Amino acid sequence: MLLLQILSNGVMLGGLYALMALGLALVWGVLNIVNLAHGAFIMLGAYAAYYFYSRLGVDPFVALPLCMAALFVLGYVLQRYVLNLIVRAPMFNTLLITFGVDVVLTYLAQIAFSADFRAISPAYSGTSFAIGSTTVPLVRAAACAVALTLTLGLWLLLAHTRLGRSIRACAQNLVAARLHGIEPRTIYALTFGLGAALAGAAGDLYGIVSQFNPYIGDPLTAKSFAICIIGGLDNPLGVVVGGLFLGVLESLTAVYIGSTYTDVASFSVLVLVLILRPRGLLGKTA
Amino acid sequence: MMRRWRWAALAAAVVLAALLPWIGSPTLVQFGITTLLLATLAQSWNIIGGYAGYASFGNSVFYGLGSYGTAIAMVQFDLPFGVGLIAGAALAVLFALLLGLPVLRLRGHYFAIATLAMALAVTGIVSNLDIAGRNIGLVLPLLKGDALFYELSLGLLVLTTTTVAWISHSRFGFGLIAIREDEEAAAVMGVNTTLFKLAAFALAGFFSALAGGIHAYWITFIDPASAFDISLNVKMIIMAIFGGPGSIFGPVLGAFLLAGISEVLSTEISTFASLFFGLVIVLAVVFMPRGLVDLLRRYRQSGWRYFRENIRAHRL
Repeated sequence: MLLLQILSNGVMLGGLYALMALGLALVWGVLNIVNLAHGAFIMLGAYAAYYFYSRLGVDPFVALPLCMAALFVLGYVLQRYVLNLIVRAPMFNTLLITFGVDVVLTYLAQIAFSADFRAISPAYSGTSFAIGSTTVPLVRAAACAVALTLTLGLWLLLAHTRLGRSIRACAQNLVAARLHGIEPRTIYALTFGLGAALAGAAGDLYGIVSQFNPYIGDPLTAKSFAICIIGGLDNPLGVVVGGLFLGVLESLTAVYIGSTYTDVASFSVLVLVLILRPRGLLGKTA
Repeated sequence: MMRRWRWAALAAAVVLAALLPWIGSPTLVQFGITTLLLATLAQSWNIIGGYAGYASFGNSVFYGLGSYGTAIAMVQFDLPFGVGLIAGAALAVLFALLLGLPVLRLRGHYFAIATLAMALAVTGIVSNLDIAGRNIGLVLPLLKGDALFYELSLGLLVLTTTTVAWISHSRFGFGLIAIREDEEAAAVMGVNTTLFKLAAFALAGFFSALAGGIHAYWITFIDPASAFDISLNVKMIIMAIFGGPGSIFGPVLGAFLLAGISEVLSTEISTFASLFFGLVIVLAVVFMPRGLVDLLRRYRQSGWRYFRENIRAHRL
């Protein structure tokens, strides 16, 4: 029974992890930029939700689209006017510039919001329900459900809309995409904005289930990386599998080996996956 | 003739730097030690990241292993400092060879992230080992004498830079550059890519570990969070890239400049120092992606156009 409870906790955590990694995977897959500021976007999403809730009394689940819109604008502007200038530079230059953005955002947040821990706690945050003998916290279940819905939404967007097709075209072949009348500068900006919006949504949900301060970004970026690698970048489903896998793995290690070993376990698995299946668990073999 | 003058100037600069403990204030000497060690890290990253083009984000693991190797040898086995340094360096080289073999098969982002993950995993393991003092860390015997540590650090930086200078003119270095430019072509030309990459990784590990060992004995206390500080990776990479990766003096120049700027800023307005650092990185990547050394070399010819050409080359 303990095992069932642990698995259920892991799945709830994993759903949120998947959403966190989704934006990173999208940007990485299409723009070939590993966005080290992704965690900072998540952090900003959490603060947006916090201020919507504490100042305007907007329920964090209702504020979700607002957080996404705010982060979308930030991501769009950043890509259109800064990152587009260096997209074709060598890989560690793009890594470095996003790191620079990460530092700037983190310290701006520290100046604007102070380094204190914040939490969003609506009235229903303590309630939970039971399935059989396992207890499921309501907020975590809702967050997980929202995360999975958004993942499905992104998949539908990429597969069936004109925008989605343009994005995939840019990922496959820039020259050919241009020949078909797609403007890569705009598509890149839209894609990055979309990635930031997903991070904003993840941040909103993160703020409900956990405490946060301006420094939560970097570990979240690292975790999102791990999920992208474990799941592979080929499709959103891989990210969901990666997220759930990492969530369950962390819950299992925390109980059976010791909570100080969770990072060892997840990063060892990451190195193993990289070596044995570099395209991810679901990816085609290289 | 020009060349000889340049070497003379360089030798004079090193001698002048060596005299600092007798001229400068104690704070300046301490700042000197940290800067020299950071410059050593940037320079050793240069071997694997700058010359071989493998952007390791986990070189802090060598620094940490060097610190811990030295500390464990000195605290748990009562060995002298010199032996400790060698033990730490040996540990790092061994680790680089063992982990390098699988990890160096990866490229680009994947290599960067695998090395970062490796560093995080080792941090976790060390903080669970009894011999390494678990989460609490180790306290080393106290040795007063910043001047000694300063000279050691300076010596290490000179040694590392000399090695890089040798690499850049050697068959080994040409092999590494060939790997950076096109690994398949290098292999076809008869470069033993696996061996060359491993050697570069191990060399980077060796020098980083020595820096870690010196730092551990100087600071006399290490714990997993400080010895395996992940932000060290970012610092050394930024310094190397800001100065000019794949050049002999670029990383050293970058380290001195950036350390100096952030030191001045943090004494004036501490909150804004990091903010400024971030902005410098963003601007440097946009306007001078090949580093200061390239800027100094090419600015004379093309003037302000240099910046415009850089943007034009890399924008969408």
